[in-house]
Amino acid sequence: MNAAAMAALRLMGGVILAGLAWEAAVVGFGIRPHLLPRLSDIFAAIALTPGAYWAGLQRTAAETLIGFAAGTAVGIANGLLFFRAPVLRDMLLPVFVVSQTIPVIAFGALVVMWFGNTLMAKAVIAFYLTFFPVTVNTLLGLNSVDPRQAALLRSFGATPTQILFRLQLPMALPQIFVALRLGASLSLVGAIVGEWFGDNTGIGVLLLQAMYNESVVALWAAILCAALLGTGFYALVAWAERRIVFWGAEQ
Amino acid sequence: MNRRHLLAATGAAAVTPFIRPAGAQTLTRATLRLKWLTQAQFAGFYVAQQKGYYREAGIDLTINPGGPNLLTENLVASGADTFGLSGGTDSVFAARERNLPIICAGVMHQQTPFVFVTRADGPIRTLADFRGKTITTWFTGANFVLLGMLAQAGLSRGDFTMQPQQVSVQPFVDRQVDVVTATRYNEFFTLMQRVGRDNLRTFVPDDHGITFPRDTVIVSEQTARDRPQTVTAFLRATIRGWRDALRDGKAGVDAVMSVAPTLNRPHQEFMMEEAGKLMVAGGAAQNGLFWIDRPVVQAAHDFFLRHEVIKTRLDLAAAYNSSFLEAIPLADRMA
Repeated sequence: MNAAAMAALRLMGGVILAGLAWEAAVVGFGIRPHLLPRLSDIFAAIALTPGAYWAGLQRTAAETLIGFAAGTAVGIANGLLFFRAPVLRDMLLPVFVVSQTIPVIAFGALVVMWFGNTLMAKAVIAFYLTFFPVTVNTLLGLNSVDPRQAALLRSFGATPTQILFRLQLPMALPQIFVALRLGASLSLVGAIVGEWFGDNTGIGVLLLQAMYNESVVALWAAILCAALLGTGFYALVAWAERRIVFWGAEQ
Repeated sequence: MNRRHLLAATGAAAVTPFIRPAGAQTLTRATLRLKWLTQAQFAGFYVAQQKGYYREAGIDLTINPGGPNLLTENLVASGADTFGLSGGTDSVFAARERNLPIICAGVMHQQTPFVFVTRADGPIRTLADFRGKTITTWFTGANFVLLGMLAQAGLSRGDFTMQPQQVSVQPFVDRQVDVVTATRYNEFFTLMQRVGRDNLRTFVPDDHGITFPRDTVIVSEQTARDRPQTVTAFLRATIRGWRDALRDGKAGVDAVMSVAPTLNRPHQEFMMEEAGKLMVAGGAAQNGLFWIDRPVVQAAHDFFLRHEVIKTRLDLAAAYNSSFLEAIPLADRMA
């Protein structure tokens, strides 16, 4: 606990130091504010309308989480299905690959036509970016299990379900988590891009408004919010990985 | 329409609780898709919504902002949105040429909303001085307006460098380009802030006989045919909202900023003022807000045809329908 507190303190110190360096560099080198504004100006902008940023953060987080959860569930289910039924894998996996070649920007326009400006529409885009890497890595993880270990368990009388949950899935977890960490970033991208198709709330909306109004301070404020959300979510997945795959996750 | 509502219902209804007000049975649900992000350019719609004018007109309206990746004509044609405030006469022409089943029921900006800007202390004093210069403009119609203006000054395509304009006007501020395109209500504010009003010279298309009405209210042909009263009710409530917004610009900006609080207020107040001028100009002065000025639309059509932006002559009587506006007494349409 003490070590964790120290680590948190060190991290905080690092962040504060980076912030001070930013502020000092802008003031010291006289960087023009439309290239890089002062960090304190950015915080002041957030403090001016904290409600908008907080609402955006919550909304984008909800879209990201729903899309990520659905993508994870469907991805793992797909992986299992393809592992058990190679025929399906040969039939469907190429379709999935083709689906991933559609630029997310084009896909987003379609999703808006189907779902309108709903939270679901953004979650669907986040899902679309997440499920594929999870599918592929689940399959990869399951396929990498030594068949002799499965044969051994089978010789002890284990059922296929038991083999799956006791051996194959746990062995595939490190691979799955690689995809989940990727998915954590991708689902946030999906949610933000989804918000570029005409909505009122969200980090993506704030980004777009700032960009097209050439309001550099607001742009940085939105970027900081997105970074906060992305880092937080990634840290959460990494933390879950350390807890669940305690025997040695790929870091 | 039905499929989209079904899909949206499964998703949205579960997540966002929708509070139905008293008398909701008589309200028609409808959406308005704007041509761009929420800003004071659309203040009247937000005022009408927040003051309940659409409800009084029997419409439960949702305002959906637009964005860089959306084409309002497509969304209205597909039924994803009921009403649209689309690009302008140019985008209506393009949509009709592609046989998209949409019609224009009103025009918001009676004059060309953009101008071409140079530095007052620079070498460009007349259109003829554009020779050899570097120009950035939008390749969505503004480029042809400028080509048309320069043709009058005897310049043709090879005489200058024309580049697509990106988001920022900064290249002009940094003197990397000689001419920049700016909407009177938006980019021009940024230019004034960074260069100063006195240091800018403007070339106005309308001064050179090219008027290019923009910000068109569109509906699908199906809505126009099956629910003309809804279209008229929508226009009536919209005009009520705009009359309020034009009379009290501050309240108009408030309505917008309650939806998008991070916007820059001075910029929005400038936009409100300038967009308002475009709305009451031209034919709107005698015939009221959202007037479809047929000779002007016809001239814009012929201009585009001449420059081969559109390849076929369009049936403008079918594409531009004033009947919904004319169902509202003129006195109620005046700004």
